[in-house]
Amino acid sequence: MNEPQFALRIRQHLNQGARVDARVAAQLRAAREQALARHRSEPEAGLALASNALGRLGGVRGLSLRVLLPLVILGVAFATAVAWQQTQRVAEVEELDAQLLSSDLPIDAYLDQGFAAWLKRRASQ
Amino acid sequence: MAEAARLAIALAAALLLLAAPPAAAAPEKDRRWSELNAEQQEILVPLEGEWDRLEPAQRVKWIGVAKRYPKMTPVGQKRVQTRMKKWVKLTPEQRKQARENYRRISKVPPEKRGDLQRDWAEYQSLPPQERQRTAPKKKPVTAQ
Repeated sequence: MNEPQFALRIRQHLNQGARVDARVAAQLRAAREQALARHRSEPEAGLALASNALGRLGGVRGLSLRVLLPLVILGVAFATAVAWQQTQRVAEVEELDAQLLSSDLPIDAYLDQGFAAWLKRRASQ
Repeated sequence: MAEAARLAIALAAALLLLAAPPAAAAPEKDRRWSELNAEQQEILVPLEGEWDRLEPAQRVKWIGVAKRYPKMTPVGQKRVQTRMKKWVKLTPEQRKQARENYRRISKVPPEKRGDLQRDWAEYQSLPPQERQRTAPKKKPVTAQ
């Protein structure tokens, strides 16, 4: 008997064997669900352990690491973004003032209410 | 799904933390006049008398301007030094207005305007009514 034939036989046996009565089917189903549930809860166990350790260290019992960690990350990210934006704004004003003060025109030209508009109007003519 | 979302948040935060420091140069620190180095004092000397009375944010800004000073042309450097004193005497609103006008004037393409100094002289030689006519009004004036 070659390999494909053997596989066919096994398949036929398995197909026949799968016809179990309702009680056995229920038992098999329960066992499978139990195994799946255990498999799912394994990674959570590690996180729960870390959460407990944190709870013991920082006295934040009741607050899960799963809630705390994303919040801390978000907080740090937000603070960094705000600080970065502020630095950018300061740098922008520095650059602008340096350009303005070294430009061809005196400060009075930039303080004048009409000059910029006059220049723009003339350029569009 | 929740794991994926958490991972995405953590990754985004990590990226932000990594990307932020090089993108923005470390901001200058506020310093009293005596704490400035010799080069900064030399550049900012027109402000020596009022330096310690300036707002901290203004001092930080001027230290930033001094950092850009060596890259300016000699003419530009001279202009900055002669204009500093006048600039610090303006109100924050006036400075804001001047920056706004600087942006507007810079946006006019050079080929569409002449030499800016000549333009300014020409504008100043206009009669006052003519100059006021161009000043922006609250409501835009449209041809009737």
